[in-house]
Amino acid sequence: MALRQRIAQNDTRIEVSGAPVRLSQQKQIRNSSISMAYVCLGFFLALPVVASAQQNTTTAQNVQRGMTQFQQSCAVCHGTRATGGMGPDLLESSLVRHDKNGDLIGNVIQEGRVDKGMPAFPMMSQTDISDIAAYLHARIEVTSSVESEGPVGGYSLKDLLIGNAEAGKQYFYGAGKCSTCHSPTGDLAGIAKKYSPADLESRFLDPPTDNVTATVSLPSGQKVKGKLLHLDGFYVALRNEEGDYQSWPLQQVNVQVTDPLAAHRELLQTYTDKDIHNVFSYLETLK
Amino acid sequence: MFFRTLKRSSSAATVGFLLLASPGYLFAQNSTAKKSISYVGASWPTFNGDTSGRRYSSLSQIDKANVHSLKLAWAFQTHAATLKSTPLEIGGVLYFTVPDHLWAIDAKTGEKIWEFRRDSQGDHLGQRGVAFYNGRIYFGTPDAHLFCLDARNGKKIWDVTVADVAFGYYISVAPLIVKGLVVLGASGDSSNVPHYIEALDWKTGKAVWKTSVLPKPGTPAARTWPNDQAMRNGGGAAWMTGTYDPDLNLIYWGTGNPHPVDDGLGRAGANLYTCSILALNADTGAIVWYFQASPHDTHDWDAVQTPVLFNAKFKGQPRELLAQASRNGYFFVLDRKTGKNLLTVPYVPTNWAEGIDANGSPIPNPAKEPQPAGGLVKMGADGATVWMSPSFDPETGLFYINAMEGYTCWYLALNKHGQPKDHQGGGYLQLTLKSALLAVDYKTGKIRWRRPSGNGPLNAGILTTAGHVLFTADASGNVLALDPLGGRVLWHTRPGGDVDDAAPMTYQLDGTQYVVTGVDGVMYAWSLTGSL
Repeated sequence: MALRQRIAQNDTRIEVSGAPVRLSQQKQIRNSSISMAYVCLGFFLALPVVASAQQNTTTAQNVQRGMTQFQQSCAVCHGTRATGGMGPDLLESSLVRHDKNGDLIGNVIQEGRVDKGMPAFPMMSQTDISDIAAYLHARIEVTSSVESEGPVGGYSLKDLLIGNAEAGKQYFYGAGKCSTCHSPTGDLAGIAKKYSPADLESRFLDPPTDNVTATVSLPSGQKVKGKLLHLDGFYVALRNEEGDYQSWPLQQVNVQVTDPLAAHRELLQTYTDKDIHNVFSYLETLK
Repeated sequence: MFFRTLKRSSSAATVGFLLLASPGYLFAQNSTAKKSISYVGASWPTFNGDTSGRRYSSLSQIDKANVHSLKLAWAFQTHAATLKSTPLEIGGVLYFTVPDHLWAIDAKTGEKIWEFRRDSQGDHLGQRGVAFYNGRIYFGTPDAHLFCLDARNGKKIWDVTVADVAFGYYISVAPLIVKGLVVLGASGDSSNVPHYIEALDWKTGKAVWKTSVLPKPGTPAARTWPNDQAMRNGGGAAWMTGTYDPDLNLIYWGTGNPHPVDDGLGRAGANLYTCSILALNADTGAIVWYFQASPHDTHDWDAVQTPVLFNAKFKGQPRELLAQASRNGYFFVLDRKTGKNLLTVPYVPTNWAEGIDANGSPIPNPAKEPQPAGGLVKMGADGATVWMSPSFDPETGLFYINAMEGYTCWYLALNKHGQPKDHQGGGYLQLTLKSALLAVDYKTGKIRWRRPSGNGPLNAGILTTAGHVLFTADASGNVLALDPLGGRVLWHTRPGGDVDDAAPMTYQLDGTQYVVTGVDGVMYAWSLTGSL
C-alpha cells in the first residue's frame, strides 16, 4: 500500500504542477469509507519490485539475486536482514541511502574498510554489487513506511484468528444479541467467502452507512421519504421513493433521519477486544 | 433551522445579543491583565498571525452584525489539489505555498506578483507556509532544504540543506522568526531517525543552535528509554510551527511520536522528549522545561498542536498560560514560565489512558496499545485533532478546537523475531468518525458549546476576531462565520470544494478588512465591499 501510494505520488508530482497533494491527502484523511485501503489482511508481499527510492532501477530478479549474494557474503556481519550484527545496520547507513545502483556501495565492497574490520571483496563483480544494492534498497523500501497505513506486507489472517470461534458463537446467540437480526444460514451464510478478512472485520464493527433514510415534512404538511443523500446545517437532500432527487433549505422543513444501523454502531461502546476476536473467528467459519 | 430568518433581522437580534453577552466580555477583559504579546492586526506577518498562536485578530470592521453581507472580493486559482498553508500578509502582498511552489499575490486584487517553483524529490505531503523577515521569505522544501528568497521578486538569496531527504526528512513547517533566527523543525516519519528543532541565522542560513528532541545518553531523561539503541531510533518530529513569549524569551514547540510508531514493546518507558511541549531558551535552544502530553505514545498522536499563549486568570490568579488541545484528546493548561501543569481534561470521549500522573500527563493503558489481532480504542485513528489551527478568543475566554470523535481498531505488526515489520510496526482500521467544533472553557476544560461538523474528518482551521466572529468550515463544504459565544451561524457559503488545512486569516488594506480561506486549490478573499 505504501509502495503503491508512493509511486503514484511521484508520478503525480511529475505530471501536475504543484498538485501531488491530492494523493498525499488520502494518507492523512482516515475516514471509514476509505479505511479498507489501509489494512490489507492476508496480502503478503515478500519484496517490493519497484523503482526503489526513485533512483534505483530494480527488478525482482536483481533483488532475489542480491538477497542470495548478501546472505552468502554480507549477512554474517551485517545480519540476515541487513539491520546489523557485528557490523553496522546498513538500512540506516547514509552511504547506502545515497547509493545509486551500487555507485557508493561498490567501492566499500571491493576495497573493504580494513580499519573498521570489514574485509575487501575485490573479486565481487559489478553485477553482484548492483544486485546487492538492489536488495538493500528494497529492504529500505520495505522497512520505511509513511503514516500509519499498516505494514507494507499487510497482515496475515493467521494473526487475526486468535479468538475462540465457539465463544464467538455463544456471544452471537447470547450477550451480543446478534442473532436477533442475523442468521448464519440466512443473511450471513457464506459471509467469510464473500468478504476478505479485513472487510469482514470492518463491516461487523462499523457497518456501512449507505442505507440511511430521511422523512422530510414540508410546510404543506406533505411528507417525503427517501434515501438521505446530504444533510448539513443548511440543506437536506434525498432520493425519494420514485427515484427523484429533491432538496430543501432546512429552515423550511422538518427532517427525521432513520439510520437502521445506528444501534449496531453503538455496540462499539460495549465490545471487549476478546468479543471482537471471538466473533471474528466465528464469522470466519461461515464459509 | 432559523438561520435565514435571523439573518434578515440581524441588526436587531445582534444588539440584543451584545447586551446579553456583555457580562462575559467584561469578565474576559478583566482577566487579560497583562498583554505581553500584542495581537495581530492590520497585517498577518507570521504563520499564526502573531507569535502567541491565538489566531485572534484585533480587526473588527467585519463584525457580528454585518458579517452576513460578506461577499467575494477575489479568488486565486493555484491548480493545486489542496492548500495547506496559512498565507502571510505583509505590505499588501500575500505569500502562500504548496510543496515546491510559492506564490506572492496582490492582497487587494488576487493578481499574481511572482511565483517560485522548484521541483524536488521527497515527501510532498504538505507545506504549511513561509516566514518573512527583513524583506526575505523563508521557504522549506520536500527535500529538506530551506530557501531564502527576496520578497520583492522571489529571487533566491541562499539555499541550505536542513536534513537528509534520503532518510525521509522533509520540511512542511512554516518557520517561526525569533530575534533574527529562523526557527524550524523537520517532518518525516518513514524511518527510524532523530528529530531536531533548529535555529538558523536569517542572513546566512547558518545554524545558530540545534536542539535534539532526544536527550543526551546518560541524562535522567535518557532513562525514559530502555537503552541508547532504542533511543537512537528516534522520533519527535517537530513539524508544526511553535510560539514565542518575548518577555520570558521562551520558544514553545511541540514534538511528535517516538519510533517505531505503533510498536512500543522495544521502547518501554515514557520516551522523552517525544510527544511533548518543549520550552526552549530563544538564544541557546536549551530546554528550559518540558511537559509530556503522551508518555510512551503508540498511536502516532503527536503533541505538535499549537501551544497557545495567553494571560488570564486561573483559579482567581492572573497567570501566564499555555494551552494545547493535543492530538491525544486531552486539553492541557500549563504555567508557561515553569511548565507546571494546571489542568488536564479530555475534550473528546476516549479510553486510551488509565489515569493522570503527578505531572499532569495521561498514563497510557497498555491494553489500549496496538494488539496483534487488533485492539479497539475510543478515538479516531488520527487522534482528536491534528494540524488544524485552534483559536483562543480572549474576550470569550474560550479555546476553539476542530475535533474528531470515533473508534479505531489498532493492530501490532511484528515479524517472527518479534521485531516491528517496518518503521510503523502496525496499523489501524478507522471505524466511525465524526467531527465537531468545540468551544472549551480554558479554566475548567468543560465544553461550553459544540457544533457538529459532519461525518468523517474535518481539517479546517479556526480564526477569531475582535468583531466577535469565528471563521471556520464544516465537513460538508461550507465556509462558516459563527458567533464565538454560542456557535450560532452568522454567515455561510458553499465555495465548491473542501476547506482544508489552509486556516482562515485576516488583514486590512486601504480601509477594507479581508478574510482569506483556501478551498481545494483556490484562495478566496471575502470582504464587506466585495462585488461577487
